[in-house]
Order: sequence, then structure tokens, then C-alpha cells
Amino acid sequence: MRKPEFIYVTYIETTPEKLWEALTDGDFTERYWFGVHLRSDWKVGSSFEMVRSNGTVSDAGKVVEYDAPRRLAYTFVNLSDEYKGELPALATFVIEPHGKLVKLTLTHEGFAEDSKFLAGISKGWPAILSGLKSLLETGKPLDVPYAAMKS
Amino acid sequence: MSKPEFVYTTYIETSAEQLWLALTDGDFTERYWFGHRVSSDWEAGSPYKFVHQGADSVEGNVLIADPYTRLVYTWNECKPAAKRERTSRVTFDLEPRGKVIKLTVTHDNLDEGGKTLRDISGGWPMVLASLKSLLETGHVLVIDPPSSTAKEAACA
Repeated sequence: MRKPEFIYVTYIETTPEKLWEALTDGDFTERYWFGVHLRSDWKVGSSFEMVRSNGTVSDAGKVVEYDAPRRLAYTFVNLSDEYKGELPALATFVIEPHGKLVKLTLTHEGFAEDSKFLAGISKGWPAILSGLKSLLETGKPLDVPYAAMKS
Repeated sequence: MSKPEFVYTTYIETSAEQLWLALTDGDFTERYWFGHRVSSDWEAGSPYKFVHQGADSVEGNVLIADPYTRLVYTWNECKPAAKRERTSRVTFDLEPRGKVIKLTVTHDNLDEGGKTLRDISGGWPMVLASLKSLLETGHVLVIDPPSSTAKEAACA
């Protein structure tokens, strides 16, 4: 039986420092993360929140690892009724120089079997990380409709 | 029970026509697919192959070629170590999403723990990252290819 987890690897023409900023600076995340502003003081153990453009918090968890510009890990769970009862799962970003590029590996794990939240994030991350790559390489965000994440 | 399969989705700012060309034109694949040139007449049932530095690297048959929407082919790696593995299958689904194209690559019918599964799990993210960059920026990523692609042997 396969482990309930989601893994995504991509290669981006950028520097580890710029990618780190893109993953941790709320003003930057707003530009490629469908308007979501990440809010945290990024101390290990501190709270971590995804804040929508209307000010409401969609997802919340805690910072688990903050090793700039190499490893970032946080837990979070979506707070909507759709995912009621789901436990926070752990998202770990590993940044590695790869020649003139940066290899980004996201591992999202710790889901229950048949987790609806796992199905949700499996659709969300490819859209978010595609937008991140485009923004860093072209300077402008990708125009992915939000509905694309649901289908 | 989940069979070994590899699924990768990416969103690219391009048109379905341009993306189809990028997947089926040898001059195009050579630029972002580590120098591997694809060739076929892209009719269902026809053979296709990738050639790298004069040697066949991957070969198979076209199962479905539905222009700008869906491309499916079988996949046999020509490396000796992969020769005894079953023929796997690659499906490209192209779906318009607003101003971008959602590309989903599904590589299935793989041997559990096989060399092909290991190779393609590392290879697809590189190839598709490079494809996305080429279509969006006009230039390819300078990417170190997986070391296992260095040695090729012709398919029998």
C-alpha cells in the first residue's frame, strides 16, 4: 500500500535566496498563490497562517523547520467544513542548487488514509508551484483561474 | 490497490497548439528534452522513437493522437537494464484553463521498483520544467541531465 503523501519536484531558474523569499514573504506569496498571504514570524513552533485577500484565515498550523535558504517545513490544515476532522499534515520544502538552477522538492505527508485534504492539496500544489516558477522566471504571475485547482 | 504510476501536472502559459507541437516535433523536443529528438507520423498505431546522439533512446507505438487534446504512446527504454521490463504507457492530457494550459502526464503500467520507474520519476520533472520554461520564456533551462541518460544502447 502506498503512503498517503504528495511529492512534487520542479526546477527553477533562480537563486536559493530568491526562492526562499518567494516561499516565506507574504507579499510575494500573494502574487502567485491565488492572493494568499502567508503570515508567520517563522520561528520554529510559531503559528503559521494562510490569509486570503479578504482577511480571513483559510489554513493554519505551525512552523516546524526554518533553515534559510535550504529547508522550510510547516504543518497546516484547511479550516473549512469541507475538511472537518482532518489533522494538520506536514509540508517540507527542500531547496538545492542544481547547476545554474534550483531544484525544489515539496513533500506533503502525514495524512490519514483516504484523506480528502490530501486530494485537495494534490490539485492545489501543481497550480501554485507552476505560478511560482513562472513568476520567478518571467517576472509575471501565471494567470491560472482559481477554479482550476478544484478540477 | 494502486499500481506503480507517475502523475505530474503543470500549468503553462501557451496555446494547446503550441504545446502539441512541442510534444510531437523533433526540433522542438531536442531543445528541452536533453537533446532527445522524437519522430513519428503521429497516426494511431504508428511507431515513434526518440533518438539521442545518434542512438535510439526510447521507442514505442502511438495509441491515441487526438491533436491539441490527448497523446498516448507506449514506452520502451532502449537501455539494456530496462530491456526486460514490461512496456509502459505515457498519456499527455492538455486542458485549457483560462489563459493557460493544464498539462497532465501520466506514466503507468510500470514495473514495481523497476529501473524505468526510477528513471522517469526523476526525468519527467526535469523535462516538464524545461518545457514550461521554453514555452514561457523562449529559452531552455540549462539543466544537468540525469546521469543515467548518459549511456544509451540501441533498441534491438
